[in-house]
Amino acid sequence: MENKQEDELRKLSVELRLLEQTAEAIQSRVNMVNTVITDLTYAAMTLDGLEKEKENSELLVPIGGSSYVRTKLANPDKVIVGMGAGVSVEKTFSEAKEIVKKRLEDLEKTRMSLQHQFTQVADKMGEDREKFEGLLAKLREEKASKNV
Amino acid sequence: MSEDISNLPPQVQERLLRLQQLQQTLQSVLAQKQQVELEMMEIDQASGELQKLADDAVIYKATGSLLIRTEKGKISTELTERKELLSTRTSILAKQEERLRGQLKDLQTKLQQDLNPVSPSPQQ
Repeated sequence: MENKQEDELRKLSVELRLLEQTAEAIQSRVNMVNTVITDLTYAAMTLDGLEKEKENSELLVPIGGSSYVRTKLANPDKVIVGMGAGVSVEKTFSEAKEIVKKRLEDLEKTRMSLQHQFTQVADKMGEDREKFEGLLAKLREEKASKNV
Repeated sequence: MSEDISNLPPQVQERLLRLQQLQQTLQSVLAQKQQVELEMMEIDQASGELQKLADDAVIYKATGSLLIRTEKGKISTELTERKELLSTRTSILAKQEERLRGQLKDLQTKLQQDLNPVSPSPQQ
């Protein structure tokens, strides 16, 4: 009987470790998705702002370290949008805004799905922990009564 | 836990260590494979977008932090070549994964045989 309970405890402990790893992996993906969402939100805001500017408008372009270079807007109708795999394509403002909007929508869906997965894993972890603690208490009780 | 392991025979300890090493190597191979597969997916996506463009579309290729102007035909060929290279890499990684899984299975079987006599006998 004790052996069975010990086996069950061992199984639960392995399962809990796996669930913890899964939860960590999901959380790290959520963080990655959040970073990209923030980046794309900035891109959308920049596109909105630039759309109102005319040719030769003076701009300050960030070069990192809170530093900027002074530039002039050469072509207010076109922007360059990354397509992945190191390829970027010239697009009109409206096309670029549409692409950014679509990517944001897709990422929101991914974030929702990841959060749903995380909740499922967290619930299962809660269940397993409860079972684990119950079994452990029972086992300790049995061992204590044997020792009396 | 480490105290439990040190109570085991040296041969079993060695096998357990080897098991951990194999598991780590497998994790690393799986991570590399996932990375390569993601890159391949990205190439497919970019190639798909390129196909929709006119032949004279303005396209740039990232080189470090710079974007250099290129042509549709040229970048399409580069992407195809890159994908072929990655595909070869995926095959190599898949073979490594298969070999490691086989080794892990063998080692787990041996360890189970090693550990069975050690564990308490079932209820009589």
